[in-house]
Amino acid sequence: MADNKKRRRKDPAGDELPFKNKLKPDSAIMETLKQFSASSSSSSVSQTLTLQDLSLPFRCREVADLSLSSVQSNIESLILRIAHSILSGHGFSFDVPSRSAANQLYVPELDRIVLKDKSSLRPFANISTVRKSAITARILQLIHQLCIKGIHVTKRDLFYTDVKLFQDQIQSDAVLDDVSCMLGCTRSSLNVVAAEKGVVVGRLIFSDNGDMIDCTKMGMGGKAIPPNIDRVGDMQSDALFILLVEKDAAYMRLAEDRFYNRFPCIIVTAKGQPDVSTRLFLRKMKTELKLPVLALVDSDPYGLKILSVYGCGSKNMSYDSANLTTPDIKWLGVRPSDLDKYKIPEQCRLPMTEQDIKTGKDLLEEDFVKKNPGWVEELTLMVKTKQKAEIQALSTFGFQYLSEVYLPLKLQQKDWL
Amino acid sequence: MDGDGSSESPIETKKAKSKTPRKPKETILKQKSPAEFFAENKNIAGFDNPGKSLYTTVRELVENSLDSAESISELPVVEITIEEIGKSKFNSMIGLVDRERVDAALYDDYETEKAREKRLAKEARAQEMQAKNAALGKKVKDTPASKAIKGRGEASFYRVTCKDNGKGMPHDDIPNMFGRVLSGTKYGLKQTRGKFGLGAKMALIWSKMSTGLPIEITSSMKNQNYVSFCRLDIDIHKNIPHVHLHEKRENKEHWRGAEIQVVIEGNWTTYRSKILHYMRQMAVITPYAQFLFKFVSDAPDKNVSIRFARRTDVMPPIPMETKHHPSSVDLLLIKRLIAETSKQNLLQFLQHEFVNISKSYAERLIGEMGPDFGSKMTVKSLTSQQLVRIHQLLRQAKFDDPSGHCLSPAGEYNLRLGIIKELHPDMVATYSGSAQVFEGHPFIVEAGVSVGGKNVKQGLNIFRFANRIPLLFEQGADVVTRTAHKRINWSSYKINQMQDKIGVFVSIVSTKIPFKGTGKEYIGDDITEIASAVKYAIQQCCVQLKSKIVKKMHAREQQERKRNLSRYIPDASGAVYNVLKEMTQLHASKKIRYGDDDAELLSKVSENLITKETLCEKLSKHVEQVYSLALCVKVS
Repeated sequence: MADNKKRRRKDPAGDELPFKNKLKPDSAIMETLKQFSASSSSSSVSQTLTLQDLSLPFRCREVADLSLSSVQSNIESLILRIAHSILSGHGFSFDVPSRSAANQLYVPELDRIVLKDKSSLRPFANISTVRKSAITARILQLIHQLCIKGIHVTKRDLFYTDVKLFQDQIQSDAVLDDVSCMLGCTRSSLNVVAAEKGVVVGRLIFSDNGDMIDCTKMGMGGKAIPPNIDRVGDMQSDALFILLVEKDAAYMRLAEDRFYNRFPCIIVTAKGQPDVSTRLFLRKMKTELKLPVLALVDSDPYGLKILSVYGCGSKNMSYDSANLTTPDIKWLGVRPSDLDKYKIPEQCRLPMTEQDIKTGKDLLEEDFVKKNPGWVEELTLMVKTKQKAEIQALSTFGFQYLSEVYLPLKLQQKDWL
Repeated sequence: MDGDGSSESPIETKKAKSKTPRKPKETILKQKSPAEFFAENKNIAGFDNPGKSLYTTVRELVENSLDSAESISELPVVEITIEEIGKSKFNSMIGLVDRERVDAALYDDYETEKAREKRLAKEARAQEMQAKNAALGKKVKDTPASKAIKGRGEASFYRVTCKDNGKGMPHDDIPNMFGRVLSGTKYGLKQTRGKFGLGAKMALIWSKMSTGLPIEITSSMKNQNYVSFCRLDIDIHKNIPHVHLHEKRENKEHWRGAEIQVVIEGNWTTYRSKILHYMRQMAVITPYAQFLFKFVSDAPDKNVSIRFARRTDVMPPIPMETKHHPSSVDLLLIKRLIAETSKQNLLQFLQHEFVNISKSYAERLIGEMGPDFGSKMTVKSLTSQQLVRIHQLLRQAKFDDPSGHCLSPAGEYNLRLGIIKELHPDMVATYSGSAQVFEGHPFIVEAGVSVGGKNVKQGLNIFRFANRIPLLFEQGADVVTRTAHKRINWSSYKINQMQDKIGVFVSIVSTKIPFKGTGKEYIGDDITEIASAVKYAIQQCCVQLKSKIVKKMHAREQQERKRNLSRYIPDASGAVYNVLKEMTQLHASKKIRYGDDDAELLSKVSENLITKETLCEKLSKHVEQVYSLALCVKVS
């Protein structure tokens, strides 16, 4: 049945899809989108606040992109200090900025999480920190080598250089973040990248390491987002907005249906929790192309959490939130209120687990949710009804309902928060 | 008793009527001698079966020997020998001619033709299998050699000899001491191992029942120039000794002591471990005694010879005979005391025949008894009603608890020695409680708890002693076992009840041990006084152990910490050194400016004055310093 419909997509016979009759012609929707795009590009120009602009009552720690040579000299001076300390018989210790939750702060003016300047000592001669300080020293040495050779490695590579010491990639990854925090540089400046996870498709042309990439001609899968954002440049686009999709499945549907040709847009997904390079890429697109960002996530606390990571940054990497966050992301769907609005049948909704409800309630306490009254309302509704739904719940009306009806209608109604 | 007899008689007659062909002789009142009673109910005294009987015989003889030596403050030396006697030897001993079986089918173990075929077929099969396996090169266990089938009535006999260096026995008393059940020297109120005057006599009764051979006693006392020798058995019906030979012999070596030899039916195979356990635990609780245990048989590989050497010369004081505590007497006992007393009037009687009654207290008691009592009234003239009144008052009045002076506990020192010898534990703690009272009898609980050791099972290993005799049977119901398993929270003392090798030794001494059941085998769990005293004693040991264990754990933890720290030294110093090394190379090629200190450091690295080893060494020194500092802080 779905197959049949695909063939007759252009026919007006698609009336069986609910709400389809409410859709205005695409051109009308395009008009609204153009207005929206224009207004957001003008507004985003004015918003370039930095930490320094605010006179906060405490000091915050932020990192910057550093050149390889300065990273190298930072490491060298650190190691020299340690060597002196060891030789004078005092052992050694690292002064590592704390990345614990207590040291995080949401700054509403910036709309992102920043790291306060609390730090903890990591002495070698202490049973609880000996392991970490040994790992830190080792990571510093490895980064130093990368600096000398001027090459990039993945986090996995780094882990495999000394599996015996690191034991678990989680440990080397955590220390890596500590190190970049300690040296005051972004993780990308350490020449360590995460494996590529995000993909992009749509009306975007950019250069990756000198090669021009046209994202409309990348087939169905789209272009993998390159891990080294510093090698990405020359972004051009005639899109009206960026569509951020939580999940691979929804992304595939949209890419296959060439949604970006119907409404000029760029579709991005990080397949779940976003990695650093996807976040960097999104930010770069947003700042360079000045496009509004609309998010399509699941209607559950987890979806909202992913949205918040794009928007305000993760706690784990809050030291680099200035580079990683994309402000002003609009929550397009699927929102808890959509479940009734689009008459999603009961069997497609899922009851929330205890854990879900708890996460939802915790989110209600978070500042980045509170600052948006619309979000609070939606989240309260979710916690109250104790129901969640995935983007795929829309497939109950047909596999293409998402691209044929739901999204166009949402765009037409400017139904984003 | 009379009432019982009359009420039962109608039933008896009914029975007789129902069995008409029987003669009315059944209703005749019969009397049983104590010896007969115990012969019929020998399980009461621990003679349930041949094996147990062998064990109990050994036990009674050893305990008598110890009591005897201790009574004259002599360090005991006890030699016990069990000699296995084969059937033919036994027959020759009793003058019976060995007879070959003529009518084979008459016997119980006769193998019928069918059974024989079956057995042979089975054996052939087994052999075939073995051959097959051998051919295949498989390793096979030797098939158990077909057990020699031991038929019914194929009893084993043992000669048990026990020799000691004790007090010996007066020549003329010997027949009565062995040939009369319920006669004894230990009836006073005193902590003794034996109590009822049963042990040696029961051995004699058992020998009479199973072998018919008499008991032989050799004994000599101090300053006697002769040795008494007596061979006797017992007339069970009359409960009197039947003397075969009673003579004085020359005592050339001025030997003092006693040697008792008895031939009984037994079972060494099944009770071997029990007997050896008994001897070993006896050696634990009486480390001042020397034991020599021997088992002799025709098969030399089965022979056992163990010497339990004396480990100390310190002997606990002899238990003193004490007077009754007023709250523990009954009517009969009061009557007996009155009959035996040398005191004339009531006041003196109360004051001198009981503990914890002073003169003034006796007067107050007499005043309380009523107007028809007076201090001066002659005690022997009291009527039965008056005795009841006295009994009631003694029951209700308040008296000080009896002191434990009359008791002779093993002592913490002896207990500790015993535990160390027996278990070789990693650590041991002992505790000796103060005297407490149960039903007017003082008792003292001593405990020892050990952790670790050689050949010790994981979990709780319980060792029980009552009046310094080991208790081996009925362990499950015993107050010590129950307390140790159920009421001690071992984990709160950092002891793991399942994993650690725990030894729990509890010794209880009292003028009257409240044994449960028939034999002297266990103390019931229902006496709260004893249960709580046992619990407290064990807990006290555990408290001592805990501090030791915690210290040990702490030391181990420190060691662990140090090891953990040291483990990362090569990693950390290697990382630092490698960066330095790289830097020296860069330093040489490019001209990067460093501070003076840094430049000096780098030049030392390039000249190999500072190597990875230097850093390692410095770092481990630092760790050592921090570690020893941490230890000092913990200690202070």
